[in-house]
Amino acid sequence: MSEKGEVDLTGAKQNTGVWLVKVPKYLSQQWAKASGRGEVGKLRIVKNQGKAEVSFTLNEELTAIDCVGEKASSVRAPRDHPFTMQTVGGQTLAVFTENPSGQSEDRSDGSAPDKLVLEGVVVQRAECRPAVSENYMQLKRLQIEESSKPVRLSQQLEKPVTTNYKPVSNHTYNVEYEKKKKEEGKRARGDKQQVLDMLFSAFEKHQYYNIKDLVDITKQPVTFLKEILHDIGIYNVKGTHKNTWELRPEYRHYQGEEKSD
Amino acid sequence: MTSLGSSSSSSMEYIVRVPKNTNKRYNIMAFNAGDKVNCSTWAQARMERDMSNRRMYGEEEVVEGAAGSEFGKKQREEARRKKFGIVTREFRVEDQPWILKVNGKAGRRFKGQKKGGVTENASYYIFTQCPDGAFEAFPVSAWYNFTPLAKHRTLTAEEAEEEWGRRNKVVNHFSIMLQRRLREQERGDDDEEEGEKAGKKKKKKGDKGGDLRIHDLEDDLEMSSDDSDSSVGEDGESKPKAKKEAAKKGKGGKKKKKKKGSDSEAMEDSDDGDFEGLEVDYMSDDSSSDEDEPEKVKPNKGEDVPKGIDEASESEEESEEEKQNEEEGKDEEDEEGKKTPVQQEKKKRRDSSEESESSEDSDIEGRADSALFMVKKRTPPKRGGGRGSGGSSRTGSRPGTPSIDTASTSSTLRAAATKLEQGKRQTAPPSSDTPPAKRLKMASNPQSPAEKSVQQAASGKSTPSSSDVQLTEEAVRRYLIRKPMTTKDLLKKFQTKRTGLSSEQTVNVLAQILKRLNPERKNINDKMHFYLTE
Repeated sequence: MSEKGEVDLTGAKQNTGVWLVKVPKYLSQQWAKASGRGEVGKLRIVKNQGKAEVSFTLNEELTAIDCVGEKASSVRAPRDHPFTMQTVGGQTLAVFTENPSGQSEDRSDGSAPDKLVLEGVVVQRAECRPAVSENYMQLKRLQIEESSKPVRLSQQLEKPVTTNYKPVSNHTYNVEYEKKKKEEGKRARGDKQQVLDMLFSAFEKHQYYNIKDLVDITKQPVTFLKEILHDIGIYNVKGTHKNTWELRPEYRHYQGEEKSD
Repeated sequence: MTSLGSSSSSSMEYIVRVPKNTNKRYNIMAFNAGDKVNCSTWAQARMERDMSNRRMYGEEEVVEGAAGSEFGKKQREEARRKKFGIVTREFRVEDQPWILKVNGKAGRRFKGQKKGGVTENASYYIFTQCPDGAFEAFPVSAWYNFTPLAKHRTLTAEEAEEEWGRRNKVVNHFSIMLQRRLREQERGDDDEEEGEKAGKKKKKKGDKGGDLRIHDLEDDLEMSSDDSDSSVGEDGESKPKAKKEAAKKGKGGKKKKKKKGSDSEAMEDSDDGDFEGLEVDYMSDDSSSDEDEPEKVKPNKGEDVPKGIDEASESEEESEEEKQNEEEGKDEEDEEGKKTPVQQEKKKRRDSSEESESSEDSDIEGRADSALFMVKKRTPPKRGGGRGSGGSSRTGSRPGTPSIDTASTSSTLRAAATKLEQGKRQTAPPSSDTPPAKRLKMASNPQSPAEKSVQQAASGKSTPSSSDVQLTEEAVRRYLIRKPMTTKDLLKKFQTKRTGLSSEQTVNVLAQILKRLNPERKNINDKMHFYLTE
C-alpha cells in the first residue's frame, strides 16, 4: 500500500499519451446515460494525406434527449461530431487520478488517504464540435429558451394573503413569557453562602461572566448579586472582556495563572 | 474496429467507451511552458493537499473554559457575526491547493491551485486508448495549475521596499541576501542588525537617534523665539533618519532647521566680520550645506551666549547628548567631505575619546571665524562674546571650556558636575567668583584646539552655576547686552533650582534688577524683549 501522498509514477514513466477532449455539455449528458459497458459511439480517424480527421459518431440510442418541460423528445442530439485537433503547445499537461480508498477506518480529517496515480501526459488536445444540422439548431433553441427563463417569477395573486399578521390582543409568545415570569416569581435572596458556592463553581468553569448570565445561573436578584460580587470579584470595564465580572485574584486559582494567595 | 482502405487515406474506427463504474477522479495537472517540466524524469513524487488555509474552530480562542474564557463567548461571537453579515467561507478540502514535491528534499516543489470554471459550460474528457484498441473517455473533474515554488530565500515586501530605495547606492547585490541571513541569525541583537547595513549608516542612525534625544532636552532651554526652531529641527532630524540617504540629507535637515531658526529670529546679531575667512569647499557635492552654514552660524551665535549659561546650569546629560550630537555632526560633515578647519577639529575631537575640555579659548582666538562652522549651536561665537565681557565674569570663562585636564575625567560631565557642586559650596571662591573650574579653564587656555561645542557645552555647564546661582544685576546685564530677551527667557536663565530662590523671589529680584538697569525695549515676534547696549 502506498504511503499517503506518494504518487504512482508509472504512467509518467511509460509516457502514456492521452488526449484531452473538450465535449459539449449536452453530449456529456448523453454519455452519462450510456448503459452496459458504456459504449457511447464510434471514433473515426481518417488520415488524409498527412492530415488526420477525427470524428465521433454518437450511438443511435443515445440521441434521445430528455427535455424538461412540455416538449416531447422531438429534439434529437446530432450524431456527427467532428473533432478539432489542437496541439498541446509548450504546456505540459499531465493527468493524475485520485482514488479515494474509502477505507473503513475513520480519520479525523474526514478523508482517507487517496491514492494518487499519474496516468499520463496529454499529447493531443481536441474539441468536439457538433456537425451543424437541423437537429442541432433545435436543440440549441431549446437550450436558449430554458436558460432565458428568469429564475424568479412574478406572479399576480387574485386574493391578498390574509394568513399573516392578524391583529392579536396579545401574542402567544408574550402570553407564554408572562406566564413563565409569574410562576417563577421574583427572585428571592437565597442564603448568601449558597450563592457564594454557586458563584465559585461557576467561576471555576469560566473566568469572565456577564452580570446577566450570573443572574441566570444563580437566580438571585440583581442587586443582591451585585453586592456579593463586589465582595469577591471585580468588574472589568476596559479591555477585551468588557463589562464582565471576574473573581478577585486572591480567590482564583486557575491553572496557567500564577497562584496567588 | 474496421479499417477501410481508400486511396492515399486510411481511416480507422474505434469504439468509444465511457466507463461508468470507476471511482477514480481524473484531474489535470497543468504546468507552465517555461518551467520545462518533464514528467518522465521524475524519480519520485509526493503530493498532498495544502491545508494551511484551514482555520481551526477555536483559533482565536486560546482557552477552553476556566481562566481567560467567558461565559457564552462562542454564542455571542456567532451572534455578532450574523449581525454583521460576516460569512466565512466553508473550508472544502477538494478546493485546497496541492503541494507537489518531486525527487525528494533536493528536488523541485510545486503548488497546484485549482482552476475554477472548468466544468461549468463544457466538459473535458480524457481519451485513452485501451489495449483492445477502443478508446475510453473519462471526465475531468478538476484542473490544477501547478507553479514552481522558489527554494531560495526571498525578501519580504518590506525588505524589498527598503532595498529598492537603496538600489542606487548598493553595488554589491549579492550581499543583500547574505546580510539578511546574518540578520536572521542574530535577530536578538539590535546593534548587530544595524551593523549589517552600511557601517556608516549605522553610526549615523545611532547618532541620529541620539540626535533626536538631544533636541528633546534642548528644547527646554531654548529661548521663546527658538521654540519653533526646535520643533522644526526635530522634524528635520527625524526625516533624515528615516531616509537611508547619505548624511547629506540629514545634514540638510538639520541645516534647514538652523535656517528656519535664522528666519524666525529676526533680530539675530550678525557681525559683518563673522563670515570672513570662511573656508568653503566648493568641490563638495552638497553645496547647499555651504549656504546653510553661514545662516546656521547666525542663530548659533546669538543663541550661544545665553545658552552657555544654561548649559552650565543644566544637567550634565545635555553635554553628553551634545557630545553625541556633535559626533553625529562630525560624521555627517565627514561624509560630506568638507574640509573646513572645523571638520579637522571635529575629527580630532572624535579621535580623542574623552572629551577633553581643553579650552576652546585658544580656538576662538585663533580662529573665531572657523568657529562659526560649528555644527552645534553652542559654538565658539558664544565664547567670543563671552570673552568680550570680561575676565572675571563667567562669560569669559564660559565659552572657554572649563579646561579640565584631559586626563582628569573620562567624561567631562562628571568633572562638570563636581565643579558645579564645588562652585555651589564655595562661599568665597578664591580670587573671583569663578569656581576653580573656571580658573583652571582660564589657566589652561592654550590647550589642544580640538574642541567642540560639546566640550564647550560641558564647560559651559561646568561653568559654575554658582555664578548663575546668584541672580545679580551683573548677570542680567550680561544677558541683555548680548541679546534681547524677554522676561520669560531671563527667568529661564535663573532657574529656581540654581539660584536657591523661590520663584516669587526670583521674579521680584529680577524685576528690581530690571528697574535698575532700565533696559531698552523692543518688540520682537509680538513679545517684549529687553536689551542693553553697552
